[in-house]
Amino acid sequence: MRSSLLPDWAALAAAQKIELPETSLQRLEALSRTMLGLRGMLDWGEEPAQVFRVDLPQPEPRS
Amino acid sequence: MTLIEAAAALRRREVSSVELTLDCLARIEKWNPELNAFITVTSDLALKQARKADAELAGGMDRGPLHGIPIAHKDLFCTQGTRTTGGSKTFAGFVPEFDATVVERLETAGAVMVGKTNLHEHAYGITSENPHYGAVRNPWDPQRSAGGSSGGSAVAVATGMALAATGTDTGGSIRVPASWCGIAGLKPTFGRVSRHGVLPLGYTLDHPGPIAQTVRDAALLFEAMAGHDPRDPSSVDRPVPRCLPEEGELSLRGVRIGLPRNFYFDRIDKDVDSAVYFAGYTAEDLGAELIRVQVPDGEQLNTLAHLTLLAEAAAVHEPYLRKRRSSYGEDVRTLLDMGRLVPAVDYLQAQRLRKRILGVYLDILKRIDALLLPATPMTAPLIGQKQVEIRGEAEDTRLAATRLLRGFNLLGLPVLSLPVGFSSAGLPIGCQLVGRPWEEPLLLRIGAALEDRIRLPRRPPRFA
Repeated sequence: MRSSLLPDWAALAAAQKIELPETSLQRLEALSRTMLGLRGMLDWGEEPAQVFRVDLPQPEPRS
Repeated sequence: MTLIEAAAALRRREVSSVELTLDCLARIEKWNPELNAFITVTSDLALKQARKADAELAGGMDRGPLHGIPIAHKDLFCTQGTRTTGGSKTFAGFVPEFDATVVERLETAGAVMVGKTNLHEHAYGITSENPHYGAVRNPWDPQRSAGGSSGGSAVAVATGMALAATGTDTGGSIRVPASWCGIAGLKPTFGRVSRHGVLPLGYTLDHPGPIAQTVRDAALLFEAMAGHDPRDPSSVDRPVPRCLPEEGELSLRGVRIGLPRNFYFDRIDKDVDSAVYFAGYTAEDLGAELIRVQVPDGEQLNTLAHLTLLAEAAAVHEPYLRKRRSSYGEDVRTLLDMGRLVPAVDYLQAQRLRKRILGVYLDILKRIDALLLPATPMTAPLIGQKQVEIRGEAEDTRLAATRLLRGFNLLGLPVLSLPVGFSSAGLPIGCQLVGRPWEEPLLLRIGAALEDRIRLPRRPPRFA
């Protein structure tokens, strides 16, 4: 049975005018189902900047 | 003849680079119409480079072990003046004005380029059943897939059309064809080999690496390919150590090899199971300690890797897919369309979890030096075979072929693939050795010791 927490992949694909075979829709469904379960492994206390760090160029040393 | 044997013969003046190159070109002419390993053959350029190599060697200039050695490049690496199709119709007429860093480095090392090899379209798949350039056929049984996406490179090496080749691995694309064609392949640590000038597929998953007849040949090619490149933002500035294992260095005393208790041996063909365990016991016989380990769930890791690739590949191809949609083959177009639907939140959470699972693996790799795993759960399927049966269960061929490999692209760990046996049907079986970041030399040492002890036929009988 489809969980209300999971996307309706057929509807999402139709909204973007994308035609996908049934096997691909099933694969997306399986991936999102596993991702839903994996959210329990997330460390909600982590500092996001540690994961998504943007490395800015270092300023030239002043002479 | 292996790369190392050819290099030694060149220095003993028993053979010239031109002769080695002509031999490869003759093999290409004879076998390529059947096997489809090459998209472009660069005979004139190869002979020009070979003559130059011979003149340099005769004049006392020795660029190292690759000097005068005929190699092939996967047609995903940009080559100045030689078209680079990516195995696609989209880039069928693309002639780069520059060389990929890897191509440049191998040319500087004196290697001779005999051509550009066939692959799964855009490197996005593992069958190398290319809709534009034909299916790459397995030299052990031409009715079967050579694997992919670097299928042409693996076939070129397995049949002597080239003495070594470059490949790329985004979800198993070096290790699948190496395993199904009975040769060695190395997916280096992410950041070790430059991606500059390699047509991208997954920004954070693409790993260029060597494909070769033997582990020692792969070590030599890897040494020449690796090293910091400021033109690749993910390239890491670390010295490249000497990687070629000593000849006859068989002892693995003090090496701890982990065999996973879960996932990796759960659902694989009996022949694959036996061959990989045999490799484990061979390592033990050579002095290694075998340790059973529990690893993070492989299905979960595959989900993260698959979502990451779907999203990244869709982002890479977005402009081309919009403008040249009809130029894509059906399977690749479907995957790119799937990627357009992956929610941004899922992609971001996958990156957070990726870091967490890497931490668990790094902890495991403190207790052991390498993990020993099967490369694929089955041997090469038939060309066009959509499903395989493994231990009585039907599975999608593409998903089955990558389910033991894909996760290590997400983690960026180095993985060596090498042949460890044959199935009862006479098809090659490969294993994987997974190591700590930057420890390719240790993997190559273990692999070379196993290869020396197990001693399998190097080439399919027809191509010997």
